[in-house]
Amino acid sequence: MADELVNVTIEGVALAVPKGTTVIEAAKRAGILVPHYCYHPSLSSPAVCRMCLVEVEKAPKLLPACVTTVAEGQVVHVNSAAAKKAREGVLEFLLINHPLDCPICDQAGECELQDYVFQEGRPRTRYAEFAKRYNPVEDFGPDILYVPNRCILCTRCVRFMEEVAEEPVLNVSERGDRAYIGISQRQALDHPWAGNVVDLCPVGSLLSKDFLHKARAWDLDKAASICPGCTQGCNISIDTRDDVVVRIRPRPNLEVNRHFICDYGRSNYRWLNRGDRVEAPLVREGDRYVATDWDTAFTRLQQILDGASGAAVLLASGRASTESLGLVRRMLEGFALSAAVQVPIGEEAPLPGIPGLALRRERAPNLLGAEWLGYDRDWDAAMRAVGDAAVVVVLDADLTEPELATLTGASGVVILLATVASTSVARAELVLPVTTMAEEHGTYVNRDGRIQRFEQAKAPPGMARPAWWIAGEVLEGPGSDASAPSTAAEAFELVAEHWPGFEGVSYGDIGFAGRLLTPAMAPSPSEAAR
Amino acid sequence: MAIGVKVMKRPEREVSYVRATLKGMALTFRHMFRTRVTMEYPEEKSTRDDRGAWAISPRWRGTHRMLTDEQGRSKCVACGLCPQVCPANCIKLVPGEDEQGNRYPLIYEIDEFRCVFCGYCQEVCPEEAIHVGVHYENAEYGRDRFVYDLERLSSQTHPVSTLWDPTDPKGE
Repeated sequence: MADELVNVTIEGVALAVPKGTTVIEAAKRAGILVPHYCYHPSLSSPAVCRMCLVEVEKAPKLLPACVTTVAEGQVVHVNSAAAKKAREGVLEFLLINHPLDCPICDQAGECELQDYVFQEGRPRTRYAEFAKRYNPVEDFGPDILYVPNRCILCTRCVRFMEEVAEEPVLNVSERGDRAYIGISQRQALDHPWAGNVVDLCPVGSLLSKDFLHKARAWDLDKAASICPGCTQGCNISIDTRDDVVVRIRPRPNLEVNRHFICDYGRSNYRWLNRGDRVEAPLVREGDRYVATDWDTAFTRLQQILDGASGAAVLLASGRASTESLGLVRRMLEGFALSAAVQVPIGEEAPLPGIPGLALRRERAPNLLGAEWLGYDRDWDAAMRAVGDAAVVVVLDADLTEPELATLTGASGVVILLATVASTSVARAELVLPVTTMAEEHGTYVNRDGRIQRFEQAKAPPGMARPAWWIAGEVLEGPGSDASAPSTAAEAFELVAEHWPGFEGVSYGDIGFAGRLLTPAMAPSPSEAAR
Repeated sequence: MAIGVKVMKRPEREVSYVRATLKGMALTFRHMFRTRVTMEYPEEKSTRDDRGAWAISPRWRGTHRMLTDEQGRSKCVACGLCPQVCPANCIKLVPGEDEQGNRYPLIYEIDEFRCVFCGYCQEVCPEEAIHVGVHYENAEYGRDRFVYDLERLSSQTHPVSTLWDPTDPKGE
């Protein structure tokens, strides 16, 4: 961008920002947080909360930082006495009717009102003798509750539904201190992206029914991850409590999903908490499976792979990481391989306000990565090839009853790399426990060719290991060979050196905003910048 | 072989036991006429009201008690602050929701063996529900009985601790 730069001084920090930048964004660049409620980088700024008032030298009054654009030579004070006094006043007004129910409020611990009042609010109320306004809790939609008493009328939810979801079902009803967020009659907050209003709400006014009373904010461990829901590759944070995933929230990535995720992705975490997981390598002896250690399992796996020749079929889940897909495929290189990736198809649900953001039909987060690694989308063709294959490897795919029957009827050896036990009913020689995407580090390539890393969010059950670890041990031979990958980054190196699409890419330069790769176009490092 | 024994020649009045016995008995009998300082526990017990020499301090931090509201329900709203603040990690809390949509503890357990009786749980409680008690008789027949559940905590009747108030350090 060849934008004109403007020199401003914010809290004594001199910086040059492009013309047209708001003061609040410029302050963010200087590393200064201007307290705010109604402002949100992905929404318009109505400047209704008056929380972001800052003192600008030579301006007659305090100015709202969220709509004031920077001007040359401006000197801004965020924490001057006048600005602090204004914020204290705003907070006092907000608290007149705000109930003191932080102990039972789900937002407590991540509530902006709580934070700012704690930082710079008045220590005592002056309204003790007046009763607070009371309105009953309202049911807004399938997953959303509205607690009007806690509402501070920042209107973020109203603006989200109007501007981003483009389904204006929310409004501000009544006026003055009777104002509340109203929902249009006969309509519910059931847009496929409506769950974002819960994240947007700076206080505990809009609540997720799913998360209600489940955990306190300070109990949660958060892991940066990528949504395994569809090919969009939205950035998410997996929030766990005692190794149980309790919710999924969006993680900002301006290039992919801005600040939003869809309700499908938000609710798509229960499979991560399944209790019926395979926890140890299972070797078939006659009609029963015997749990063994990894050394025995590897010996058996090596025997199977060495003993067979001819055709092999690899049936992979679309949720498998690039590392797992790549190394498991390399493990079967000696065979005439037909590899397929499973792509469940759902309905597309776009978010109209953000072009290029939608819940995609293809519900496989690593579809493009799999295709780059030579996996085919034609699942049925691969299933037909099962009959003649000498080796069939299933990488955590969800198999239907007829597909299981096909596997049972296969003449070749079936090896399952499975997360859940129910897939092990097929006539498999070997069932190896693998981790889900929440239990391993890895990468996904989204539909635009953006490779993004995800972090481990919880501990794997029992002896489960990432599929790339299993394949890596086999590739590098038995025993504790130092060259076998022990981290996902090393596994990725093994993939990158083998497939030109990933050439020259390593974990270090993917970063957390991801990196745009296209096999046709050389990846440019500038894409990593947000 | 003969053993050489050295015999000390001391005056009779120094080696006689009579004098020492009389001295000791005099002390014993003198104590009979002093005010008694022993409390005959457990026949006799201290109460908070008598404030005598043996009264237990109102700031004593003993085993817990959960206070209840007028309907007999515990005042706890399962906010999760006490398990968070507990340095011994002895409080187990699982929140739930009742028919009226009120948050309440489904499971509230305190492991009194793990508890270090710091009183932080009482101090942090925003609903004044959990308290440490002015209570010291905790004998049980089994170890498992020392994990107090919500029912047990609510049915305790002993007085609760006033804790130490920094603005009133002497309790006046």
